[in-house]
This record gives sequence, C-alpha cells and structure tokens, in this order.
Amino acid sequence: MAIAVSARSLTKSFGRREALHGIDFAVEAGSVFGVIGPNGAGKTTTMRCLLDIIRPTAGEVRVLGLDPRKGGPELRRRIGYLPGELFLEGRVTGRRLLAHYEAVSGPVPPGRIDELAERLGLELDRHTRKLSKGNKQKLGLLQAFMHQPELLVLDEPTSGLDPLVQQEFHAMVREARHRGQTIFLNSHVLSEVQQTADTVAILRDGHIIAVESVSGLREGAVRHVRITAAGIAAHDAVALLSGVPGVGQVEVLESGASVTLSALLEGPIQPLVRILGSLQLTDLVLEEPDLEDAVLKMYTGQRGEAH
Amino acid sequence: MKTTLPLFRRAFFDTWRSTLAWAAGLAGATFLYLPLYPSIGGSAQMHDMINALPAQMTKALNYDQIATGPGYTQATLFGLIGFLLMTIASVAWGAAAVGGDEESGQLELTLAHGVRRVQVVLERALALLLRVLVLAGLVFVLVSLLNGPSQLGIEPGNLFGGTVVFAGLALLSGTAALCGGAVSGRRIYGTFAGAAVGVLGYVFNAVGRQSKDAEWLLDLSPYHWAYGNAPVANGADWAAAGWLWGISAALVVLAAVALERRDVGA
Repeated sequence: MAIAVSARSLTKSFGRREALHGIDFAVEAGSVFGVIGPNGAGKTTTMRCLLDIIRPTAGEVRVLGLDPRKGGPELRRRIGYLPGELFLEGRVTGRRLLAHYEAVSGPVPPGRIDELAERLGLELDRHTRKLSKGNKQKLGLLQAFMHQPELLVLDEPTSGLDPLVQQEFHAMVREARHRGQTIFLNSHVLSEVQQTADTVAILRDGHIIAVESVSGLREGAVRHVRITAAGIAAHDAVALLSGVPGVGQVEVLESGASVTLSALLEGPIQPLVRILGSLQLTDLVLEEPDLEDAVLKMYTGQRGEAH
Repeated sequence: MKTTLPLFRRAFFDTWRSTLAWAAGLAGATFLYLPLYPSIGGSAQMHDMINALPAQMTKALNYDQIATGPGYTQATLFGLIGFLLMTIASVAWGAAAVGGDEESGQLELTLAHGVRRVQVVLERALALLLRVLVLAGLVFVLVSLLNGPSQLGIEPGNLFGGTVVFAGLALLSGTAALCGGAVSGRRIYGTFAGAAVGVLGYVFNAVGRQSKDAEWLLDLSPYHWAYGNAPVANGADWAAAGWLWGISAALVVLAAVALERRDVGA
C-alpha cells in the first residue's frame, strides 16, 4: 500500500519547549487520516511541518514521497491546506482571492470554484474581511479543495460551520477520497473525525498515544449494558456477568420477580451475548460505544483503569 | 491559468487605494508649498526673518537654503514634508509586506501554496519599489508643472537627480522596515527599523550640521548622504544615490535569506 504522508521520530522544539516528542505515523494514500487531541497537543504543529511552514527539529517527514523542506512549490501545489486559524483581512473579494491562489497553485478545472461555492453556500463577490467566521472558513475550504490536490491537510475544518454545511463538507471529503485523494485532518471533536476518518491518531502532549481504525477504537470503547432477566437470583446474575471478559462495574438496579443489572463492557460483545443466551431475558439494552469517553480517558492517561 | 509575478500583482494592485491616498497627500503638500515661493522664499522680508532666527535652527530645518527657488523646493518639499510623507508610506508598506502579513496569519496560507519564500520577499519588495517610484514620479511631474508658474527656476536635470535620491531615501526606510518584519515576523519591529532609519537619519543630519565636533554624525545619516549637497539645487550626488539604492537592495536580500531560514508563525 502506498504511503502518502509519514513521520519518523518527528520532533519539534520552540526554544526550550518541546512541542512534539518524536512522533511516528503513516497515512495510506487514498485514505482519511484523522488526528484528535486536546488543545495544545501538537496537532497544528504537525500539520505545519508537513507544509514546510515550520521545520522539524529532528526526525523525518515524507509528504507524497518528498521531504517538504526540499519539495518546494511543486510539492505544495499538490497539497491543499486549510490553516487552523484563518485570517482574511484584505480588501479583496473572495473571487479575486481565489483567482490569486489559482494563479499560484492552479490550475483549477473550469466552473469548479462556482460549483463549490454553491455547495457551501458562499457568496464570492463580497469583500473577505466582511465575511463571517463561517463564511471565511468556507472560503478557506474552497481554496484547499479547488485544485483537487493529491493531499488535503485540513486543520479543524468544520470549526465555525453550521451543521448543514458540515454535512456538505463530509460529502466533499468522501468524494475526494473516492477520487483517490488523501485527507489528513484534525479536530478536537471526536465525532467529526469519527464520521470521516478511516484511521485515527490520538495526540496528547506531543506524543501519539494511539493510532487505531475507527472500528478498532469502537471495539476498545466502553458500552453501557442493562439487562432484565427472570428466574435468576440477583447474586447469581451478578456472578455470571462478572465472569464475562471485559465486563465490569456490575450493579443491581432492581431485584424482585425479575432482576435488573447494569454493567460496563469493554472489548468484543460476543462473549457477553453467549452468556446472555442462557438467561431468560425480558429486556436488553446495549448502548452505542461511547468513543468520546474512551478518548477522554486516553487524553487524561487513565486508559489502564478501565481494564 | 498561469500569470507572471502573481504575488507582485496582488501586493501592488490590491493596495491601490493606499497608493492613491498617499499620492493625494503628496500632491496636496506640493500644491500647498510650492506656489507660496514667490511670496515667501523669494521675498526680502522673509529673508530678514530667517536671518533673525538662530543659525542652529535654520540649519536644522535646512532653511539656510530657502532664498532660492531650488533651495526652497529642496528644503520644504523634498527635505521636510515630502520626505515625511514618503518615509511614512514606505515604512508602512515595508512593515506590512512580510512582518505584518505573518502577524495577521495570512502569510502562512500563502506559503502553503506553490510559492518560494524568496519569491514572496522579492515580489513584495518589487511592489514596494514600484509604489515608491509612482509617488516619486508624481512629485517629479508636479514640481515640473509648477516650476514655471511658481518661479522656482529648477534645472530639469537637477530635479531628476533630486527625485532619484528622494525615492532612494524613502526606499531605504521601507526596505529596512521590510527586513525588520521579515527577520522578526512582527509588524512593529519592521516599523521600528524603518522609522529608526528615517528619524535617526534626519536627527543625525540636523545635529551634525551644528558644529564641527558633531560632523561625524553626518556620515551615519542617509538623509545627509541624499541631501547634503542640496540635489534639487546642485544636482544629485550619484555615489550617494548608489549607496541608498544599493543598501536597499542588500536589505531585501537579507530579508529573503532571513525568511527562508526560519519558522513562520511559530
């Protein structure tokens, strides 16, 4: 499988403060790679290293097979970049600004700018500094997507967008992926990454603490379980459930003619289902895994406690 | 679609309002000062008044020259109000070109596109140069127009030479601002560097002309290199013009090298 972006022991210091402590990752060509992490984790720093806006202190970066430091304008023309904080202050219209970036990084297929503007609901003939935050963000997305680059690097792409436009953005990401473009995006909101990404890297304090597929993340996440069963004593039910691998915090909610228990499940559900099959269930609730919860635990370094 | 010098075009054409405003200011100053010459500079009354002023003051303001048309133009327009306006415009543009653009966060996006950093600095310096030339050219044309009606009696060749050093002096402050901004990534340091060149140059000239002991200050004053021999009256010192333009070019190269070597927006 071809690798579109990779980093090996990528380290970046600003003065005495080390922002990235030697991170490693690889992004398959044609996939969507999401980075999540709390503010200040190093997400933006990583992206800026890919674009040669800042230079790594140590380690190696490869973008579309090249060192960004040496790839020059030719490499950056193959990348679409949306900065995390987008400032567009000039007294120019969106259309003129896009024409400028097209002149620098084009060519852009004819009609593409208008098509994207329409999809995102962006007026191109207004002065950029008069645009709202959301509309500036749309303009930022447009300049990143318009020339259909091989790689899209998007820093907090949906920040400031309303839910409808966010959906449109997700559709744009899917189309880009379908066309074979690689997308490297980051967010501090998990749901965003979860919706679009194939693979998620979790970054905290300049370390990558996990790289997983979204399905893998879901498997590792904790689900809330609630069962009601008849014909079994409460303590027998507790013992039975507690014996299942991955089940913890079993609590009796009600015990009478039937027993209601709640528990947490981490890991695969198959062993639990097998045990439940032996019970006379009257009710079963197996919730969607709470990825947010799982990731928050990783952020704060408490992952081990769930085991 | 491939256009030549895209960054220059954006830096030059998308700021036409600012260029126009400074041009209007310079034109206003020219029309305000020069037509007054027959009634002020040339009059005997004025002559007596200037003789009554302390010698240090007339030297500091270059008013020792204003009894003649070329001297009056040199002292009031090229040496004072025009110098002030041109320097402020040039410093503002120079500081905004890289430092201001980086500070506002816009440079990051530009550099993420298909450009080289050296190219960014050079094309924006070219836009600065051209805008300074537009303003200086305007002053040249207006002074030529007023030369007859205002009885200034300026030799066209001297006016040309004077305009060249006038532009060179403003450009030096502007490129110092550009360089300060490119090295630091901050508009304020660029403004500081550019203003320092302009203000210190002026002050060193004013103080250096007061006494023999302070004369060494004149060698440090770009203002004095440019105007020490009153070029509008006596023709430009072309070696000085070479220094002004040469150092400006060197500052642009330094800015390009500095930006090429450092992190942006960090």
